[in-house]
Amino acid sequence: MNRGYYWLIMLLSIPAFIWLVPTLWMVSLSFQPNDVLARTTSSTAFGLIPLPFTAENYAALFSFGQTPLWFLNSAIVAIGMTLGVLAVSTTSGYALARLEFPLKTPITILCLIGLMVPEQAVFIPLYTMFADFGWHNSYHALILPRMAVPIGVFLMMQFFKAIPKDIEEAARIDGVGWLQIFWHIMLPLARPAMMTLAILTFLYAWNDYLWPLVSAREPERFTITLGLASIQSNFAQSEGLGRVMASGVIASLPVVILFLIFQRYVVQAMTAGGTKG
Amino acid sequence: MAERRKILAGLSEGQAALVLLLPFLAVYGAFLIYPFFRGVWISLHDWNLLAVAFNPDAKEFVGGRNYVRTLWGRNIEWGLFASPVMQTAGILGTGLAFFLYRTGRASRATALALGIAGLLFFLLPGFHPGEEGRWYDRRFWPTVGNTILFVALAVPGVTLSALFIAAALDGETRAKSVLRTLFFLSQVLSVTVVTLIWQIMFSPRQGLIANITEAFGGSPIVWLTDQQFAMAAIVIATVWWSLGIAMILFLAGIQDISKDIYEAAAIDDARGLKAFWYITLPNLKRTITLVIVLQIILHFQVFGQSHLMTQGGPNDSTQVLVRYIYQTAFRDSELGKASAMAVFLFVIMGAFSIVQFIVGREEG
Repeated sequence: MNRGYYWLIMLLSIPAFIWLVPTLWMVSLSFQPNDVLARTTSSTAFGLIPLPFTAENYAALFSFGQTPLWFLNSAIVAIGMTLGVLAVSTTSGYALARLEFPLKTPITILCLIGLMVPEQAVFIPLYTMFADFGWHNSYHALILPRMAVPIGVFLMMQFFKAIPKDIEEAARIDGVGWLQIFWHIMLPLARPAMMTLAILTFLYAWNDYLWPLVSAREPERFTITLGLASIQSNFAQSEGLGRVMASGVIASLPVVILFLIFQRYVVQAMTAGGTKG
Repeated sequence: MAERRKILAGLSEGQAALVLLLPFLAVYGAFLIYPFFRGVWISLHDWNLLAVAFNPDAKEFVGGRNYVRTLWGRNIEWGLFASPVMQTAGILGTGLAFFLYRTGRASRATALALGIAGLLFFLLPGFHPGEEGRWYDRRFWPTVGNTILFVALAVPGVTLSALFIAAALDGETRAKSVLRTLFFLSQVLSVTVVTLIWQIMFSPRQGLIANITEAFGGSPIVWLTDQQFAMAAIVIATVWWSLGIAMILFLAGIQDISKDIYEAAAIDDARGLKAFWYITLPNLKRTITLVIVLQIILHFQVFGQSHLMTQGGPNDSTQVLVRYIYQTAFRDSELGKASAMAVFLFVIMGAFSIVQFIVGREEG
């Protein structure tokens, strides 16, 4: 490595550190006592180092307040949505990519044209529909609309198209049915693509704000993203800055951990979701 | 059990396809396609959220009146220089598109999209209320204007910084990968965490920015409630939040450029900035267009930053389209009008999706 390389890294470390500062500050504030924060947020090194230190904000989150419940709601919605999206996307993606059936082209176009419809164009009619059914404030009301978004179908279809035909043909000659081929041969092959789609969906579910805001009106049904929005507008008076920041850290933990462990898949998922969805 | 297995195994190809497609088609039809048309249908009604909830017949068919009430006004005229800045920009855009196409620097699709956008920028802002005229909805077009301003600030901000960072951080060394992770990390946070962080970052009393300003003897800026800075504040938070996705798209684009070209250029002493300018940029044209279009689609739908950080204020200066739709529907209960605005949003987004589709399919 030459000198230019080290200069480059040092030069870029500055903006990278600046990029990290807001997140670091949130974490640091969450470990400081509320009565100190009420006076000043820059005790040590502009508040970037948590001194005086306390873990009380986290203890308080779990003893009272609704953060644990919201966290649980988010987990149920995110996992339910991920499983649901995987189920409908793998099956239909396989059918569109590998099977021959009447009206295939029009059905494929019909399935993908929905990529053009943004969430904001359907959230009002969805609201009235779900109100008619009495579905609001429920988990399935938060899960179902995303299962209808064809991004997953598109991604799985692209994946299945790339698999060589002979695997299927060999199985067909042995008299294996189409559904068994899908279940026993294709799904195991599709694991990496399913992983990408699962992460894309989980991130979306965990971070979604507009639809939960419209559909979940009772605080007991809030997701953590929505709950955090509900306590941040009057953070200083009611909750204490430290505790709100602790909620923010808790709300971010699953996605940050997911990102740090599965970085490659997360990047792939967001690239795929970004370019096609 | 054995019986069922046999039936499943005996399905013809077409039957199997039907079984596999049905679950998706059912949710897709019920929760995307049907709601879309229902939204158009609602937009043609005088539909009060609360009234219709109590009595389903309390809606009235009014045809296009919600659209007129939103988009139009009394005594609206068109003038050549009603809005000189935007109209000049429109003319320049159209001219630029024509020039780029003629000199072969832009493909036909790109030039066409830019040309149409320029033409719209020239035509639309020309409309203004004449004497004794007024818009039926005074807030709608300023809201669209704010949304466009937000897009116009956030998109170049994200694109330029992401492009430089991606070019500098391309490569498989440990340090570069750590730096990439740092830049990308904020991307996975939810909008409410982002607004929580930045609301307090910008706070004039508790904020980190104010604390640093004061330490250097300056007086803190009241970011979120000052009309001059509120839009800048939500743009800064947005650039911080959404740099990562643009960066990885650029990184993917840069990796597609053949290493041979760089090696050949290095022999001619073209390294660093020179290589970036003469090799990376020209070969990245398609990716850049794609990232810009994607960002436009993404940021046109901005909601959370405005809703949570500034509540659309001060004085409506950060009110954006999706927030206006949300408020019209769920605060004012005017579902019909809100749906008309949602259809308006869909038309704009749809146009950009088509551009995205065309750019995405073009060969690089």
